[in-house]
Amino acid sequence: MIEANNVIKKYGQVTALDDFTVDIPKGKIGILGPNGAGKSTFVKIALGLIEATSGNITVLGENLDKNSIEIRKKIGYMPEHDCIPNKMTGVEFLIEMGLISGLDYQTATQRAHEILGYLRMGEEKYRLIEEYSGGMRQKIKLAQGLVHGPEIMFLDEPTSGLDPNARQEMLETINGLAEISDTNVLLSTHILQDVETVCDYVIIINNGKLQIKEKVKELIKRQTDTIQIRIGENSEEFLSILRQNDAKRNIEITERWIRIPYKDDNSFKEIISAAAKANSQLYEMERVAVTMDNIYLEVVN
Amino acid sequence: MKKDAKIEEKFKDFKPNLSDRKKIVLGMGVRGFEKLFSLKNKSILFLIGIVYLWTFAFYLLLGEDSYPCKVVSDELKTCTHLNFYGDLQQGGTRIFLVLIAAVASSGLIANDLTDKSIHLYLSRPISRMDYLIARIIPIFSLMLVITLIPNLAVFISQFSKSGLDINFLTDNRWTMSNLILQAIFYSISYSIIGITFSAAIRRESLASAGFFGSVYGISLIVEIFYGISSEMNMEYGEYILLLSVIHFLDIISYKIFNVNYFVTIFGSPELVDYSSSLIVTLYVLLFSSLIFVVNYIISKMEVSK
Repeated sequence: MIEANNVIKKYGQVTALDDFTVDIPKGKIGILGPNGAGKSTFVKIALGLIEATSGNITVLGENLDKNSIEIRKKIGYMPEHDCIPNKMTGVEFLIEMGLISGLDYQTATQRAHEILGYLRMGEEKYRLIEEYSGGMRQKIKLAQGLVHGPEIMFLDEPTSGLDPNARQEMLETINGLAEISDTNVLLSTHILQDVETVCDYVIIINNGKLQIKEKVKELIKRQTDTIQIRIGENSEEFLSILRQNDAKRNIEITERWIRIPYKDDNSFKEIISAAAKANSQLYEMERVAVTMDNIYLEVVN
Repeated sequence: MKKDAKIEEKFKDFKPNLSDRKKIVLGMGVRGFEKLFSLKNKSILFLIGIVYLWTFAFYLLLGEDSYPCKVVSDELKTCTHLNFYGDLQQGGTRIFLVLIAAVASSGLIANDLTDKSIHLYLSRPISRMDYLIARIIPIFSLMLVITLIPNLAVFISQFSKSGLDINFLTDNRWTMSNLILQAIFYSISYSIIGITFSAAIRRESLASAGFFGSVYGISLIVEIFYGISSEMNMEYGEYILLLSVIHFLDIISYKIFNVNYFVTIFGSPELVDYSSSLIVTLYVLLFSSLIFVVNYIISKMEVSK
């Protein structure tokens, strides 16, 4: 869907993207990274809004150096910040955006009403945007990006500033719209859960460099929740007692540690009981959970 | 469920047929013009009404027989279509034209920059220059409505007074082309100045005040200084007039009509002569710089959030 080769973007002395190379497949892709990682810069370059200092990007097979304007017909963009005119009604604004995208008036009007209907904006669409809540403003921002039926939708921090309910609703809407319209989604965010909810693939950026590109499912598989122990003598007997209780249990043994999967708090009692039976001394015992957050932080840091 | 299924079908089946950039830009411009010309803009409509009434009263009802130009002295000629852009006391509509340009252009880019909707417009299949053209079209068209149409009306009225004599048209063919060129020249110049103030100041009311003050206010100050320098016989004193946009545009406007330029200082007309190459060079430099400034402001805005 998008290929970036050795892209460098500098703002004065600051390097926002540093030799950034990535091949982004079609589907719902999350670009994850802390604030200032270079996500928005990448999105703006991919959209042709700003030019890279060096390197090149192709979007849907077209080189941005040659065709950065025409390609925008196939792209929808929802910026992070508030950028919608207050003195228009929701439907007027959507029609205007449809027209600026190249739709004729009739199609733009029809499409605006369809999208706002899908977003469950009934009579509100006829109110001035300045009267809208934060959630409704985000919906309008999303809708304007979809009005011309793009092949890719760039979403820059779509849940920014939303309360938990509105955030959940926004993510469900993105998911729903992407599914029914066959639109590819490029979701730029610093919130891991948003990527987990929406995306098939995740790309983690930090300091302008690609840190990881992986399927979200694979990343989820990396999550573990174990009890880590350090034991004295008779460790073999201790392990055989544990295996008697549950043969399928995946116990990880290293030189220093034994890691036993955590099921619930009874797991601690089971370990203590097995150690007592095996006459083994327990030196250390703690629960170690490797969550998506841990993986993300490990990559970023 | 049925309704949801229908929506899904509509979304899936949507195959956009998008028009090209030229149509998009033209469409943006036309819609912008419609907005300026709508009943919501009562102040603009009121000022346009004054210009038309003024033209009707001073040029159609009380119009002189000496058309298009009247000889004042061996060196000086006054022309109807030059007077139209002049001061009120000479029957000109300058103050209204500047006021309309200031009020109508002030929000064109300022509003997009203030609410940041410019980010969304520029994410569409149009370039920065396309956007600028789309924002110039409304004010340019509006200015043509108050410059070209009244002047053409005066021309047609004179043609009518001549008894619809075809010789009038052949004798005045240059008058017609000159007045069209002159209207386009003033309209494009005021449009560029307008969008520059709109982009640079970013607040509608301040931008219109800034435009009016800088263009009309400065012209009055410059005239006073020119008068003083003229009384004191200062060398190169005439170049003071080039500091005023209005006088600068008038100089070119007189050149379009191939008439000697003069200013009325303390009640008496004074001939001022500048080389054409200097004036054209200055004009190109000034207005290309203004376009560059607006383009730069927008490009900076694109990068920032």
